[in-house]
Amino acid sequence: MSEQSGDPRPIPRNSRVCRCLFGPVDSEQLRRDCDALMASCAQEARERWNFDFVTETPLEGNFIWERVGGLGLPKICQGPRDDLGGGKRPSASSALLQATAQEDHVDLSLSCTILPRSPEQPEGSPGVPGTSQGQKRRQTSMTDFYHSKRRLIFSKRKP
Amino acid sequence: MELLCCEVDPVRRAVRDSNLLGDDRVLQNLLTIEERYLPPCSYFKCVQKDIQPYMRRMVATWMLEVCEEQKCEEEVFSLAMNYLDRFLAGVPTPKTHLQLLGAVCMFLASKLKETIPLTAEKLCIYTDNSVKPQELLEWELVVLGKLKWNLAAVTPHDFIEHILRKLPQPNDKLPLIRKHAQTFIALCATDFKFAMYPPSMIATGSVGAAICGLQQDEDVSSLTGDALVELLAKVTNTDVDCLKACQEQIEVVLLNSLQQCREEPGEAAKAEEDVDQASTPTDVREIDL
Repeated sequence: MSEQSGDPRPIPRNSRVCRCLFGPVDSEQLRRDCDALMASCAQEARERWNFDFVTETPLEGNFIWERVGGLGLPKICQGPRDDLGGGKRPSASSALLQATAQEDHVDLSLSCTILPRSPEQPEGSPGVPGTSQGQKRRQTSMTDFYHSKRRLIFSKRKP
Repeated sequence: MELLCCEVDPVRRAVRDSNLLGDDRVLQNLLTIEERYLPPCSYFKCVQKDIQPYMRRMVATWMLEVCEEQKCEEEVFSLAMNYLDRFLAGVPTPKTHLQLLGAVCMFLASKLKETIPLTAEKLCIYTDNSVKPQELLEWELVVLGKLKWNLAAVTPHDFIEHILRKLPQPNDKLPLIRKHAQTFIALCATDFKFAMYPPSMIATGSVGAAICGLQQDEDVSSLTGDALVELLAKVTNTDVDCLKACQEQIEVVLLNSLQQCREEPGEAAKAEEDVDQASTPTDVREIDL
Protein backbone atom coordinates (compact mmCIF):
# COMPACT_ATOMS: atom_id res chain seq x y z
CA MET A 1 0.00 0.00 0.00
CA SER A 2 1.46 3.30 -1.01
CA GLU A 3 1.13 5.88 1.71
CA GLN A 4 1.30 9.30 0.13
CA SER A 5 1.78 12.25 2.45
CA GLY A 6 0.04 10.56 5.35
CA ASP A 7 -3.29 10.13 3.59
CA PRO A 8 -4.91 7.18 5.33
CA ARG A 9 -6.95 6.39 2.25
CA PRO A 10 -4.95 7.13 -0.87
CA ILE A 11 -6.54 6.59 -4.25
CA PRO A 12 -5.27 3.25 -5.55
CA ARG A 13 -2.97 3.51 -8.54
CA ASN A 14 -4.88 3.07 -11.80
CA SER A 15 -8.16 3.13 -9.96
CA ARG A 16 -11.00 2.42 -12.36
CA VAL A 17 -13.23 4.73 -10.38
CA CYS A 18 -11.33 7.78 -11.68
CA ARG A 19 -13.32 8.59 -14.77
CA CYS A 20 -15.10 11.40 -16.52
CA LEU A 21 -18.76 10.47 -17.01
CA PHE A 22 -20.31 13.01 -19.35
CA GLY A 23 -17.49 14.38 -21.46
CA PRO A 24 -15.45 17.53 -21.04
CA VAL A 25 -16.77 20.22 -18.70
CA ASP A 26 -17.09 23.74 -20.07
CA SER A 27 -15.42 25.91 -17.43
CA GLU A 28 -16.91 29.08 -18.86
CA GLN A 29 -20.44 27.71 -18.63
CA LEU A 30 -19.75 26.43 -15.13
CA ARG A 31 -18.68 29.89 -14.09
CA ARG A 32 -21.70 31.59 -15.68
CA ASP A 33 -24.14 29.12 -14.12
CA CYS A 34 -22.41 29.40 -10.77
CA ASP A 35 -22.70 33.21 -10.79
CA ALA A 36 -26.33 33.08 -11.85
CA LEU A 37 -27.24 30.56 -9.16
CA MET A 38 -25.35 32.46 -6.46
CA ALA A 39 -27.22 35.60 -7.48
CA SER A 40 -30.53 33.79 -7.21
CA CYS A 41 -29.54 32.44 -3.77
CA ALA A 42 -28.72 36.00 -2.68
CA GLN A 43 -32.06 37.19 -4.00
CA GLU A 44 -33.92 34.44 -2.15
CA ALA A 45 -32.11 35.29 1.07
CA ARG A 46 -32.85 38.98 0.52
CA GLU A 47 -36.56 38.31 0.21
CA ARG A 48 -36.62 35.81 3.03
CA TRP A 49 -34.90 38.07 5.54
CA ASN A 50 -35.65 41.52 4.11
CA PHE A 51 -31.96 42.22 4.26
CA ASP A 52 -29.48 42.94 1.51
CA PHE A 53 -26.58 40.69 2.40
CA VAL A 54 -24.33 42.16 -0.27
CA THR A 55 -24.50 45.75 0.92
CA GLU A 56 -25.49 44.80 4.47
CA THR A 57 -28.56 47.01 4.44
CA PRO A 58 -31.83 46.22 6.14
CA LEU A 59 -34.86 46.44 3.87
CA GLU A 60 -38.55 46.90 4.50
CA GLY A 61 -40.19 43.72 5.76
CA ASN A 62 -41.11 41.32 8.53
CA PHE A 63 -37.87 41.62 10.41
CA ILE A 64 -36.50 44.60 12.26
CA TRP A 65 -32.74 44.73 11.96
CA GLU A 66 -30.65 46.60 14.48
CA ARG A 67 -26.98 47.17 14.98
CA VAL A 68 -25.35 45.50 17.95
CA GLY A 69 -21.85 46.34 19.14
CA GLY A 70 -19.31 44.95 21.53
CA LEU A 71 -20.30 41.33 21.38
CA GLY A 72 -16.70 40.29 21.70
CA LEU A 73 -16.93 38.13 18.62
CA PRO A 74 -13.95 35.87 18.11
CA LYS A 75 -11.41 36.78 15.44
CA ILE A 76 -12.69 34.15 13.07
CA CYS A 77 -15.98 36.03 12.65
CA GLN A 78 -14.27 39.28 11.80
CA GLY A 79 -11.92 38.75 8.94
CA PRO A 80 -12.05 37.32 5.44
CA ARG A 81 -12.36 33.57 5.56
CA ASP A 82 -10.80 32.37 2.37
CA ASP A 83 -8.54 29.86 4.01
CA LEU A 84 -11.13 27.13 4.42
CA GLY A 85 -11.47 23.94 2.49
CA GLY A 86 -7.93 23.82 1.25
CA GLY A 87 -8.32 26.48 -1.42
CA LYS A 88 -9.12 30.11 -1.85
CA ARG A 89 -12.71 30.92 -2.60
CA PRO A 90 -12.90 32.86 -5.82
CA SER A 91 -14.12 36.40 -5.73
CA ALA A 92 -17.14 36.28 -8.00
CA SER A 93 -19.08 33.80 -5.91
CA SER A 94 -18.06 35.15 -2.56
CA ALA A 95 -19.62 38.56 -2.71
CA LEU A 96 -21.19 37.95 0.65
CA LEU A 97 -17.87 37.28 2.29
CA GLN A 98 -15.93 39.97 0.54
CA ALA A 99 -18.35 42.78 0.96
CA THR A 100 -18.01 42.58 4.70
CA ALA A 101 -14.39 41.67 4.92
CA GLN A 102 -12.99 45.16 4.67
CA GLU A 103 -14.96 46.62 7.53
CA ASP A 104 -14.95 46.17 11.22
CA HIS A 105 -17.36 43.32 11.49
CA VAL A 106 -18.12 43.77 15.15
CA ASP A 107 -19.67 47.16 14.51
CA LEU A 108 -21.63 45.81 11.62
CA SER A 109 -23.15 42.94 13.54
CA LEU A 110 -26.88 42.93 13.37
CA SER A 111 -29.63 41.24 15.25
CA CYS A 112 -33.09 40.75 13.94
CA THR A 113 -36.49 40.35 15.49
CA ILE A 114 -39.77 39.61 13.89
CA LEU A 115 -41.87 42.70 13.49
CA PRO A 116 -44.70 42.45 16.03
CA ARG A 117 -47.63 42.39 13.68
CA SER A 118 -50.84 40.65 14.59
CA PRO A 119 -50.29 37.09 13.38
CA GLU A 120 -54.02 36.40 13.32
CA GLN A 121 -54.43 38.58 10.25
CA PRO A 122 -51.82 37.53 7.78
CA GLU A 123 -53.42 39.48 4.92
CA GLY A 124 -53.11 42.65 6.95
CA SER A 125 -49.34 42.91 6.80
CA PRO A 126 -48.76 45.90 4.57
CA GLY A 127 -46.32 46.44 1.76
CA VAL A 128 -44.05 43.44 2.04
CA PRO A 129 -43.83 41.70 -1.29
CA GLY A 130 -42.48 38.18 -1.18
CA THR A 131 -42.62 37.83 2.57
CA SER A 132 -45.85 37.41 4.40
CA GLN A 133 -46.85 36.36 7.85
CA GLY A 134 -47.75 33.04 6.34
CA GLN A 135 -44.09 32.12 6.30
CA LYS A 136 -43.93 31.97 10.04
CA ARG A 137 -46.56 29.32 10.06
CA ARG A 138 -44.86 27.41 7.31
CA GLN A 139 -43.75 24.54 9.50
CA THR A 140 -47.25 23.38 10.32
CA SER A 141 -48.53 23.58 6.81
CA MET A 142 -45.44 21.87 5.40
CA THR A 143 -45.92 18.94 7.74
CA ASP A 144 -49.56 18.68 6.85
CA PHE A 145 -48.72 18.72 3.19
CA TYR A 146 -46.17 15.98 3.57
CA HIS A 147 -48.53 13.76 5.46
CA SER A 148 -51.07 13.92 2.70
CA LYS A 149 -48.38 13.27 0.15
CA ARG A 150 -47.23 10.23 2.03
CA ARG A 151 -50.66 8.73 1.80
CA LEU A 152 -50.72 9.54 -1.88
CA ILE A 153 -47.44 7.76 -2.50
CA PHE A 154 -48.67 4.76 -0.59
CA SER A 155 -51.90 4.41 -2.43
CA LYS A 156 -50.19 4.80 -5.77
CA ARG A 157 -47.79 2.04 -5.06
CA LYS A 158 -50.42 -0.59 -4.41
CA PRO A 159 -50.63 -2.90 -7.35
CA MET B 1 -7.49 -3.07 33.02
CA GLU B 2 -7.22 -5.12 29.87
CA LEU B 3 -5.26 -3.86 26.95
CA LEU B 4 -6.42 -4.37 23.44
CA CYS B 5 -4.02 -4.42 20.54
CA CYS B 6 -5.33 -4.20 17.04
CA GLU B 7 -4.64 -2.62 13.68
CA VAL B 8 -5.18 1.08 13.92
CA ASP B 9 -8.22 2.35 12.10
CA PRO B 10 -7.69 6.09 11.67
CA VAL B 11 -11.41 6.68 12.06
CA ARG B 12 -12.89 6.89 15.51
CA ARG B 13 -16.52 6.10 15.91
CA ALA B 14 -18.86 6.72 18.77
CA VAL B 15 -20.43 3.65 20.30
CA ARG B 16 -24.14 3.16 19.77
CA ASP B 17 -25.95 5.20 22.35
CA SER B 18 -28.44 2.93 24.04
CA ASN B 19 -30.14 5.93 25.62
CA LEU B 20 -30.99 7.29 22.20
CA LEU B 21 -31.86 3.95 20.69
CA GLY B 22 -33.93 2.87 23.66
CA ASP B 23 -36.02 6.02 23.75
CA ASP B 24 -39.02 5.75 21.48
CA ARG B 25 -39.24 9.53 21.11
CA VAL B 26 -36.14 9.48 18.93
CA LEU B 27 -37.74 7.11 16.45
CA GLN B 28 -40.99 9.04 16.54
CA ASN B 29 -39.18 12.32 15.85
CA LEU B 30 -37.32 10.78 12.94
CA LEU B 31 -40.62 9.57 11.51
CA THR B 32 -42.13 13.01 11.96
CA ILE B 33 -39.39 14.96 10.22
CA GLU B 34 -38.20 12.50 7.58
CA GLU B 35 -40.42 13.72 4.78
CA ARG B 36 -39.20 17.29 5.00
CA TYR B 37 -36.08 16.13 3.25
CA LEU B 38 -37.63 14.36 0.30
CA PRO B 39 -37.23 15.92 -3.14
CA PRO B 40 -40.51 17.76 -3.73
CA CYS B 41 -41.14 16.43 -7.22
CA SER B 42 -40.19 13.89 -9.81
CA TYR B 43 -37.73 16.17 -11.52
CA PHE B 44 -37.20 14.27 -14.76
CA LYS B 45 -40.74 15.21 -15.74
CA CYS B 46 -41.03 18.73 -14.47
CA VAL B 47 -37.57 20.31 -14.04
CA GLN B 48 -34.76 18.68 -15.98
CA LYS B 49 -34.50 18.94 -19.75
CA ASP B 50 -31.04 17.54 -20.34
CA ILE B 51 -30.70 14.96 -17.61
CA GLN B 52 -32.23 11.52 -18.13
CA PRO B 53 -32.89 8.81 -15.53
CA TYR B 54 -30.02 6.67 -16.82
CA MET B 55 -27.62 9.56 -16.19
CA ARG B 56 -28.69 9.68 -12.58
CA ARG B 57 -27.94 5.97 -12.38
CA MET B 58 -24.52 6.55 -13.94
CA VAL B 59 -23.54 9.29 -11.54
CA ALA B 60 -24.99 7.35 -8.59
CA THR B 61 -22.99 4.26 -9.49
CA TRP B 62 -19.85 6.34 -9.73
CA MET B 63 -20.55 8.00 -6.39
CA LEU B 64 -21.11 4.62 -4.75
CA GLU B 65 -17.81 3.39 -6.14
CA VAL B 66 -15.99 6.44 -4.80
CA CYS B 67 -17.59 6.01 -1.37
CA GLU B 68 -16.68 2.34 -1.29
CA GLU B 69 -13.13 2.82 -2.48
CA GLN B 70 -12.67 5.55 0.12
CA LYS B 71 -14.40 3.39 2.73
CA CYS B 72 -16.77 6.19 3.61
CA GLU B 73 -19.30 5.73 6.37
CA GLU B 74 -22.42 3.98 5.15
CA GLU B 75 -24.69 7.00 5.30
CA VAL B 76 -22.45 9.27 3.22
CA PHE B 77 -23.63 7.85 -0.09
CA SER B 78 -27.34 7.94 0.79
CA LEU B 79 -27.02 11.45 2.15
CA ALA B 80 -25.14 12.66 -0.93
CA MET B 81 -27.86 11.21 -3.17
CA ASN B 82 -30.45 13.02 -1.08
CA TYR B 83 -28.62 16.33 -1.70
CA LEU B 84 -28.33 15.54 -5.41
CA ASP B 85 -32.03 14.78 -5.77
CA ARG B 86 -33.10 17.83 -3.80
CA PHE B 87 -30.85 20.08 -5.87
CA LEU B 88 -32.03 18.60 -9.16
CA ALA B 89 -35.67 18.98 -8.05
CA GLY B 90 -35.14 22.74 -8.01
CA VAL B 91 -32.44 23.62 -10.49
CA PRO B 92 -32.42 22.71 -14.20
CA THR B 93 -28.91 21.38 -14.77
CA PRO B 94 -27.02 20.44 -17.93
CA LYS B 95 -25.68 16.91 -17.94
CA THR B 96 -22.10 18.12 -18.16
CA HIS B 97 -22.50 19.54 -14.64
CA LEU B 98 -23.88 16.33 -13.19
CA GLN B 99 -20.63 14.70 -12.15
CA LEU B 100 -19.42 17.92 -10.52
CA LEU B 101 -22.72 18.06 -8.67
CA GLY B 102 -22.28 14.46 -7.50
CA ALA B 103 -18.79 15.27 -6.28
CA VAL B 104 -20.01 18.34 -4.40
CA CYS B 105 -22.76 16.31 -2.75
CA MET B 106 -20.25 13.70 -1.59
CA PHE B 107 -17.98 16.50 -0.37
CA LEU B 108 -20.78 17.93 1.79
CA ALA B 109 -22.13 14.60 3.05
CA SER B 110 -18.65 13.44 3.95
CA LYS B 111 -17.95 16.63 5.89
CA LEU B 112 -21.18 16.21 7.81
CA LYS B 113 -20.74 12.55 8.67
CA GLU B 114 -17.04 11.69 8.78
CA THR B 115 -14.15 12.37 11.09
CA ILE B 116 -11.74 12.40 8.15
CA PRO B 117 -13.75 13.86 5.27
CA LEU B 118 -13.04 13.49 1.58
CA THR B 119 -10.97 16.37 0.26
CA ALA B 120 -11.84 18.50 -2.75
CA GLU B 121 -8.60 17.48 -4.43
CA LYS B 122 -9.31 13.79 -4.07
CA LEU B 123 -12.82 14.12 -5.43
CA CYS B 124 -11.51 16.00 -8.44
CA ILE B 125 -9.06 13.21 -9.17
CA TYR B 126 -12.01 10.83 -9.11
CA THR B 127 -13.63 12.89 -11.89
CA ASP B 128 -10.46 12.19 -13.86
CA ASN B 129 -9.59 15.84 -13.31
CA SER B 130 -12.47 17.03 -15.45
CA VAL B 131 -13.37 19.28 -12.50
CA LYS B 132 -11.00 21.62 -10.68
CA PRO B 133 -10.94 21.90 -6.88
CA GLN B 134 -11.69 25.61 -7.27
CA GLU B 135 -14.87 24.83 -9.18
CA LEU B 136 -15.88 22.25 -6.63
CA LEU B 137 -15.56 24.82 -3.84
CA GLU B 138 -17.56 27.38 -5.78
CA TRP B 139 -20.33 24.91 -6.43
CA GLU B 140 -20.30 23.83 -2.83
CA LEU B 141 -21.69 27.27 -1.99
CA VAL B 142 -24.25 27.03 -4.77
CA VAL B 143 -25.52 23.66 -3.55
CA LEU B 144 -25.56 24.83 0.07
CA GLY B 145 -27.56 27.88 -0.92
CA LYS B 146 -30.07 25.90 -2.94
CA LEU B 147 -30.47 23.34 -0.14
CA LYS B 148 -30.89 26.28 2.26
CA TRP B 149 -27.98 24.87 4.28
CA ASN B 150 -30.37 22.17 5.38
CA LEU B 151 -27.99 19.25 5.36
CA ALA B 152 -28.97 17.10 8.30
CA ALA B 153 -31.40 15.06 6.23
CA VAL B 154 -32.88 11.83 7.53
CA THR B 155 -31.69 8.77 5.63
CA PRO B 156 -32.78 5.13 5.80
CA HIS B 157 -29.62 4.38 7.79
CA ASP B 158 -30.98 6.44 10.68
CA PHE B 159 -33.72 3.84 11.18
CA ILE B 160 -31.72 0.63 10.93
CA GLU B 161 -30.68 0.36 14.56
CA HIS B 162 -34.11 1.31 15.80
CA ILE B 163 -35.68 -1.41 13.67
CA LEU B 164 -33.13 -4.07 14.54
CA ARG B 165 -33.63 -3.52 18.24
CA LYS B 166 -37.30 -4.31 17.95
CA LEU B 167 -36.75 -7.67 16.28
CA PRO B 168 -36.46 -10.96 18.17
CA GLN B 169 -33.20 -11.94 16.46
CA PRO B 170 -30.45 -14.11 17.77
CA ASN B 171 -27.87 -11.44 18.59
CA ASP B 172 -25.02 -13.04 16.70
CA LYS B 173 -26.93 -12.63 13.43
CA LEU B 174 -27.49 -8.92 13.80
CA PRO B 175 -24.23 -7.76 12.16
CA LEU B 176 -24.97 -9.88 9.11
CA ILE B 177 -28.54 -8.62 8.83
CA ARG B 178 -27.30 -5.05 9.30
CA LYS B 179 -24.74 -5.39 6.53
CA HIS B 180 -27.22 -6.83 4.08
CA ALA B 181 -29.78 -4.17 4.93
CA GLN B 182 -27.16 -1.46 4.36
CA THR B 183 -26.37 -2.90 0.96
CA PHE B 184 -30.04 -2.87 0.02
CA ILE B 185 -30.28 0.76 1.12
CA ALA B 186 -27.33 1.72 -1.08
CA LEU B 187 -28.90 -0.12 -4.01
CA CYS B 188 -32.14 1.77 -3.47
CA ALA B 189 -30.30 5.09 -3.53
CA THR B 190 -28.96 4.30 -7.00
CA ASP B 191 -32.51 3.81 -8.29
CA PHE B 192 -34.66 6.90 -8.79
CA LYS B 193 -37.81 4.90 -8.11
CA PHE B 194 -36.98 5.08 -4.40
CA ALA B 195 -35.96 8.74 -4.28
CA MET B 196 -39.37 9.89 -3.11
CA TYR B 197 -40.17 7.03 -0.73
CA PRO B 198 -39.96 7.83 2.97
CA PRO B 199 -36.55 6.73 4.29
CA SER B 200 -38.24 4.74 7.08
CA MET B 201 -40.02 2.60 4.51
CA ILE B 202 -36.82 1.95 2.58
CA ALA B 203 -35.11 1.00 5.82
CA THR B 204 -37.93 -1.29 6.89
CA GLY B 205 -38.13 -2.92 3.47
CA SER B 206 -34.37 -3.37 3.41
CA VAL B 207 -34.32 -5.11 6.78
CA GLY B 208 -37.18 -7.31 5.63
CA ALA B 209 -35.42 -8.18 2.39
CA ALA B 210 -32.18 -8.86 4.25
CA ILE B 211 -33.82 -11.27 6.67
CA CYS B 212 -35.80 -13.03 3.92
CA GLY B 213 -32.67 -13.48 1.86
CA LEU B 214 -30.56 -14.77 4.70
CA GLN B 215 -33.26 -17.00 6.08
CA GLN B 216 -32.99 -19.27 3.07
CA ASP B 217 -29.55 -20.46 4.09
CA GLU B 218 -29.60 -20.25 7.84
CA ASP B 219 -31.86 -19.46 10.71
CA VAL B 220 -31.40 -15.75 11.32
CA SER B 221 -34.84 -14.89 12.58
CA SER B 222 -37.46 -16.52 14.71
CA LEU B 223 -40.08 -14.49 12.90
CA THR B 224 -40.60 -14.93 9.18
CA GLY B 225 -43.11 -14.29 6.46
CA ASP B 226 -46.19 -12.29 7.23
CA ALA B 227 -45.50 -12.17 10.95
CA LEU B 228 -42.17 -10.49 10.27
CA VAL B 229 -43.62 -7.98 7.83
CA GLU B 230 -46.35 -7.11 10.29
CA LEU B 231 -43.89 -6.51 13.09
CA LEU B 232 -41.64 -4.41 10.82
CA ALA B 233 -44.58 -2.38 9.60
CA LYS B 234 -45.58 -1.63 13.17
CA VAL B 235 -42.12 -0.38 14.14
CA THR B 236 -42.12 2.40 11.53
CA ASN B 237 -45.89 2.92 11.20
CA THR B 238 -45.80 1.74 7.61
CA ASP B 239 -48.78 0.22 5.88
CA VAL B 240 -48.32 -3.57 5.61
CA ASP B 241 -49.22 -3.76 1.93
CA CYS B 242 -46.95 -0.84 1.08
CA LEU B 243 -44.13 -2.45 2.95
CA LYS B 244 -44.61 -5.74 1.09
CA ALA B 245 -44.64 -3.88 -2.22
CA CYS B 246 -41.55 -1.92 -1.24
CA GLN B 247 -39.69 -5.06 -0.20
CA GLU B 248 -40.57 -6.70 -3.50
CA GLN B 249 -39.28 -3.67 -5.40
CA ILE B 250 -36.05 -3.78 -3.42
CA GLU B 251 -35.59 -7.43 -4.30
CA VAL B 252 -36.24 -6.63 -7.96
CA VAL B 253 -33.55 -3.93 -7.85
CA LEU B 254 -31.07 -6.45 -6.48
CA LEU B 255 -32.04 -8.96 -9.14
CA ASN B 256 -31.62 -6.35 -11.89
CA SER B 257 -28.26 -5.24 -10.67
CA LEU B 258 -27.07 -8.84 -10.46
CA GLN B 259 -28.33 -9.51 -13.98
CA GLN B 260 -26.53 -6.43 -15.19
CA CYS B 261 -23.40 -7.85 -13.65
CA ARG B 262 -23.80 -11.09 -15.56
CA GLU B 263 -24.52 -9.36 -18.85
CA GLU B 264 -21.50 -7.10 -18.80
CA PRO B 265 -18.71 -9.27 -17.43
CA GLY B 266 -16.15 -6.48 -17.49
CA GLU B 267 -18.35 -4.11 -15.60
CA ALA B 268 -19.64 -6.97 -13.52
CA ALA B 269 -16.37 -7.93 -11.98
CA LYS B 270 -15.94 -4.34 -10.97
CA ALA B 271 -19.42 -3.96 -9.58
CA GLU B 272 -19.17 -7.13 -7.55
CA GLU B 273 -15.76 -6.16 -6.33
CA ASP B 274 -17.18 -2.86 -5.24
CA VAL B 275 -20.09 -4.45 -3.51
CA ASP B 276 -17.62 -6.64 -1.68
CA GLN B 277 -15.51 -3.77 -0.53
CA ALA B 278 -15.97 -1.65 2.52
CA SER B 279 -18.61 -2.87 4.86
CA THR B 280 -20.97 -4.46 2.39
CA PRO B 281 -21.65 -8.15 2.69
CA THR B 282 -19.57 -10.56 0.65
CA ASP B 283 -22.30 -13.02 -0.08
CA VAL B 284 -24.97 -10.66 -1.25
CA ARG B 285 -24.90 -12.12 -4.74
CA GLU B 286 -25.68 -15.53 -3.35
CA ILE B 287 -29.06 -14.39 -2.21
CA ASP B 288 -31.52 -16.38 -4.23
CA LEU B 289 -34.76 -14.52 -4.59
